[in-house]
Amino acid sequence: MGMRHSITIVLVVVLLAGCGPAKVDFNTEIRPILNDRCVTCHGGVKTNADLNLQFRELALLGGESGNPAIVPGDADGSELIRRITHANVSDRMPKDEAPLTELQIQKLRDWIDQGAEWGTHWAYVTPVKSSPPVENPWIRSPIDSFVLEVLQENGLEPAPEANCNVLARRLSLDLTGLPATFDQATKLCETGNYEALVDELLASPRFGERWAALWLDLARYADSKGYEADRERSIWRYRDWLMDAFNRDLPFDQFTIEQLAGDLLPNPTTEQLIATAFNRNTMTNEEGGTDDEEHRFASIVDRVNTTWEVFQGVTMRCVQCHGHPYDPFVQDDFYGSFAVFNNTADWDQAHEEPVLREFEAAHQAKGRELLGKLDAITAAIRDSITSPTMSKVWESWESKLEDPLEVGKLLNTSKNEIRRIAAKPKADRSSYEIAFIQNRFGDAEPTLVGLREERGKIMGEIGKLTPTITPVMKELPTSERRVTRRRERGSFLSPAEAVEPAVPKVLTPLPAGEPANRLSFAKWLVSDENPLTARVTVNRFWEQLFGLGIVESSDDFGTIGIAPTHPELLDWLAVHFQRDLAWSQKGILKEMVLSATYRQASVVTPLKLEKDSRNQLYSRGPRFRLSAEQLRDQALAVSGLLSKKLHGPSVMPSQPAGVWKNPYNGQQWVLAEGEDRYRRAIYTYWRRTNPYPAMAMFDAPSREFCISRRIRTNTPLQALVTLNDPAFWEAAEGLAAKMKASGGSTGDQIKVGYRMALARDPSPETLTTLIQLAKDSSLPVVANTILNLDEYLTKE
Amino acid sequence: MNVFEEARMKLAQLHTRRHFLKSFTAGLGGAALASLVGGAAYASSGLGASSGALGTAGVGGLLGLDPLSPRPPHFAPSAKHVIFLHMAGAPSQLELFDYKPILAKLDGQITPPSLLEGRKFAFIQGAPKMLGPQAVFKQNGQSGAWISNHLPHLQTVADELTFLKAMHTDEFNHAPSQLLMYTGNPRLGRPSLGSWAVYGLGSENQNLPGFVVLLSGAAGPDAGASVYGSGFLPTVFQGVQCRSQGDPVLFLSDPDGVSRDMRQASIDAISKINQQQYEETQDPEILTRIAQYELAFRMQMAVPEAMDIGAEPAYIHQEYGTAPGEISFANNCLLARRLVERGVRFVQLFHWGWDSHGAGESEALNFGFLDRCKETDRAITALIVDLKRRGLLEDTLIVWGGEFGRTPMLENRSGQDNPFVGRDHHSDAFTMWMAGGGVKRGFTYGETDEIGYDPVSGRVHVHDLQATILNQLGFDHTKLTFPFQGRNFRLTDVGGRVIREILA
Repeated sequence: MGMRHSITIVLVVVLLAGCGPAKVDFNTEIRPILNDRCVTCHGGVKTNADLNLQFRELALLGGESGNPAIVPGDADGSELIRRITHANVSDRMPKDEAPLTELQIQKLRDWIDQGAEWGTHWAYVTPVKSSPPVENPWIRSPIDSFVLEVLQENGLEPAPEANCNVLARRLSLDLTGLPATFDQATKLCETGNYEALVDELLASPRFGERWAALWLDLARYADSKGYEADRERSIWRYRDWLMDAFNRDLPFDQFTIEQLAGDLLPNPTTEQLIATAFNRNTMTNEEGGTDDEEHRFASIVDRVNTTWEVFQGVTMRCVQCHGHPYDPFVQDDFYGSFAVFNNTADWDQAHEEPVLREFEAAHQAKGRELLGKLDAITAAIRDSITSPTMSKVWESWESKLEDPLEVGKLLNTSKNEIRRIAAKPKADRSSYEIAFIQNRFGDAEPTLVGLREERGKIMGEIGKLTPTITPVMKELPTSERRVTRRRERGSFLSPAEAVEPAVPKVLTPLPAGEPANRLSFAKWLVSDENPLTARVTVNRFWEQLFGLGIVESSDDFGTIGIAPTHPELLDWLAVHFQRDLAWSQKGILKEMVLSATYRQASVVTPLKLEKDSRNQLYSRGPRFRLSAEQLRDQALAVSGLLSKKLHGPSVMPSQPAGVWKNPYNGQQWVLAEGEDRYRRAIYTYWRRTNPYPAMAMFDAPSREFCISRRIRTNTPLQALVTLNDPAFWEAAEGLAAKMKASGGSTGDQIKVGYRMALARDPSPETLTTLIQLAKDSSLPVVANTILNLDEYLTKE
Repeated sequence: MNVFEEARMKLAQLHTRRHFLKSFTAGLGGAALASLVGGAAYASSGLGASSGALGTAGVGGLLGLDPLSPRPPHFAPSAKHVIFLHMAGAPSQLELFDYKPILAKLDGQITPPSLLEGRKFAFIQGAPKMLGPQAVFKQNGQSGAWISNHLPHLQTVADELTFLKAMHTDEFNHAPSQLLMYTGNPRLGRPSLGSWAVYGLGSENQNLPGFVVLLSGAAGPDAGASVYGSGFLPTVFQGVQCRSQGDPVLFLSDPDGVSRDMRQASIDAISKINQQQYEETQDPEILTRIAQYELAFRMQMAVPEAMDIGAEPAYIHQEYGTAPGEISFANNCLLARRLVERGVRFVQLFHWGWDSHGAGESEALNFGFLDRCKETDRAITALIVDLKRRGLLEDTLIVWGGEFGRTPMLENRSGQDNPFVGRDHHSDAFTMWMAGGGVKRGFTYGETDEIGYDPVSGRVHVHDLQATILNQLGFDHTKLTFPFQGRNFRLTDVGGRVIREILA
């Protein structure tokens, strides 16, 4: 809606002023008033005087005064109107604050008189595809029609199409994260076959590397576990899965289901198990004296928050502790989702079990045999613990748990949970709790030492085969299920009533007849009825290409998120993606880059700067600085250093000494050998507490939590990276060597370098400036200069 | 700057700011700061200007300005700069400031269960022995403040200090407790104190970072760079580590074979070509980039100049105990003064190695701890004296402390006789002190019980400390906020009380 609609509304109000009040729209006119002035005290967080103005039925009920706050059709009889207009300042609402404006009061009056209808927030209504509104020869895709309509309303014209060289570079950076070569650009200029270039780039394996990078921020992917010691975690197979998923254009519905619940599919493949590492990217705490259950709780909270933010653009984080301050979610909704995720077998252990172990071909038979033995011994230990003779020993062990010396023998980080369970009468314990305390007893019971040693030996033998480890999701057996409890004020220490797995009441329910688990939840996310998944996803793609989302707050589609600039376009894209393209990610990207909107030159005019300063109306092509990853990759590509190796463990390119200095962690940054030093940024080792400096300076997050959008900054420290970081200087030297090898005059060499960097020829002025610079300095300095030009650092 | 450059800068500022001028002209006091951040959100959500920065789009508004340009806080500040001296690992208050003669009498006795019930310890198991003070104490100055003989230099400036004797925190492990101290939350991902300060105030000296971090000791802080990170604030506000060896700021030095003249020529060429690019495309972001490259060039001169303690006279080195070229806490204290002198807002020092469990020599109260005292005592005292002499102490707030305190009980992990004495982590009571920056001189606030185990009066939570530091910088800590994931976040989370009792 945004500005365009508010302007329309103002006009309507003015026109109708003489002939009775205009129909008041709840979503655009009333909810903003309630959100801004009322619900802080009478909403999800606080319900002062027992009044909640977030839901119609509660508002009609009224608060402790006994008078209905709102009487539909009768503003004068509504307590709300009485209180906001109260003559006595101490009784007037909002309490101790400036009164509402006369216009706001009139709006509320008219709205109540008109029946006080509550509108559903646009984002919770299933999108429908409207017809493209205007026709024009400029239009190449329905996208353009929606864009053009808004441009015309604002008295703007689209920019002309960008020059073919510029376009080739833009397209290549967007689809593959690497710049176009001069040859690619020339071919486009000669043939004019833009779509052929699009297809070529979409088919490149580089496509998956570029788009996985976006997803790694969302999945909070890192090569370390987080918290104090922040030790290594092996989870790079998930990163490779992502790249492959993009490259084989795994439809987004399947992409979603496999990441959230691949393990629950019938006969899951290894790849589908690896996909579930998405939600194993939560942190693991290895510090002494901590409470494993508390940190397991924290990871489930994070899985709920991340899943809702990534797939639904809903800020569920608020609802851990209380009702959502603005959106129609109550605290139970959070724990309904929590219950969906709460029955996996991981429990904040340093070993991160359950893990997938993949053996190289030569070790597969042996590995399978050992894993079989491991299962057998684990079952044997379990049988021993639960045998009738052992149950007496267990009970006497449990009765001693209040003795501090006895507790001292327990695993330090699980003793709190053991004591919490031991303090409960047996009948009140969940099946998970019974199994948990038995298993901890099994860890401590002296007569089981032989079996434990046997298990340790098998683990040792498995370790010798050096399998690739990936933490994955594994559902607990039905005999060991956890009971999920709502937490008072969200505190781990204040369990309240039990909650069953469910989705928020404001949305369509989980399909009946299926078990309410991660799989049905994932399928529900990508069902036809879900109003958010497709919108949120197309908006992310759009944001990557155009710099800002159609919904700028791409992490928040709620009522205080920012309304879409082009709601019909967003919905058209969402439905097109979901239905016509059957969730093809390559398909929707192709639709976007083929549009005339995308192909515009990124030239600003004074009028456009005035009316569309942030290019939210798309009155020109996108123009913004490349991401941290693109900057590294571009430097390596242009200088010819880039390794094309796909897949594999993360690598350590050049980094200044002394950046890694963690206590209790002896791991060193060991400079990679050979081509591994020149891999794309997506393969750079990512340690949460010590991010790679060149990336952190260009706004890469540390990835403790899901980050939907990086806030672009422009700082002098960034200039120092691209000017002086040895990795970037090496690229300049590489480019200089190629320039020199091309022979010819200094001017010719500079032209070659400029073409390699920017896929086009320099302007005569630029060439003159660079030739002069070559006289004053050296060829590597000239190359370094080209690699620091704004046009080179920018996608234009 | 010549006339042409000046005009160009003005144009750059005008263009990048035009969109946000409305919120900027109101100044940054109070709600206006909120509108700086929330500006764009208002336009599209229809919220009135009185609202509290609700929109997540606000970020665009913020970056329309030069995010480091200096701006006034909510009200007149008492301090323009903060130097935070963090003793990572948590020094024992019972050997330095919180003198407990009764604890000496209890030395060696088994701790009664009543003192252990309901407590969480990181390492103590079973029933430990009590441990008397491992130091000789005396009262100092007119204020009569107790400072042990481990800190003979600090004793001489006792009357400059305000002690907070009843600090408490929620966490008993290093990393979460350091995170709570600096980001207001024990988990990773939030902006740090220094980042909030620079977000609110901008930077006085555009040639130096606004928030500088100096590390010494065998390791960095336990929670890594997150304790000086920018969390969800734009990265421009993160702490910049300045180093005594290697490049003082990462990537500051020109590559081998690139002279200053060449770099100058190269920056000139970049600016010239970028200027042409600007004329073609009219994208105001290009002008910002031109300015940032020129700033980077100036930084390449300004940072080494600021970091070069070799230029200091001999008597200064004598006072601080500094030796140029070393990585030492003393050098970092002297650097802190040089940086504050040059307008750096927030200087954060970490000195690692105070985790005196007694499990080994380096972490024993009778060995490593004494070394840490020697490494820091002279330099901290010199810093106070030096700042005062230069008239900088009155608007520089110095804060000293660790992430928590230590138990009145002996920690004996191995259970055997060993020559090393130590104490476990203790989150319920510890001592911090402040000096300068508008706090009282020669003052003590708060008191613990007779064994230093629990506060009995004047309790100060970490959030209260943060609220107080922000207050000295001119901020209402409840209004310095940033929208993230659907709500406004602040350093003090939902807590924090300004400790008015200690303000001068």
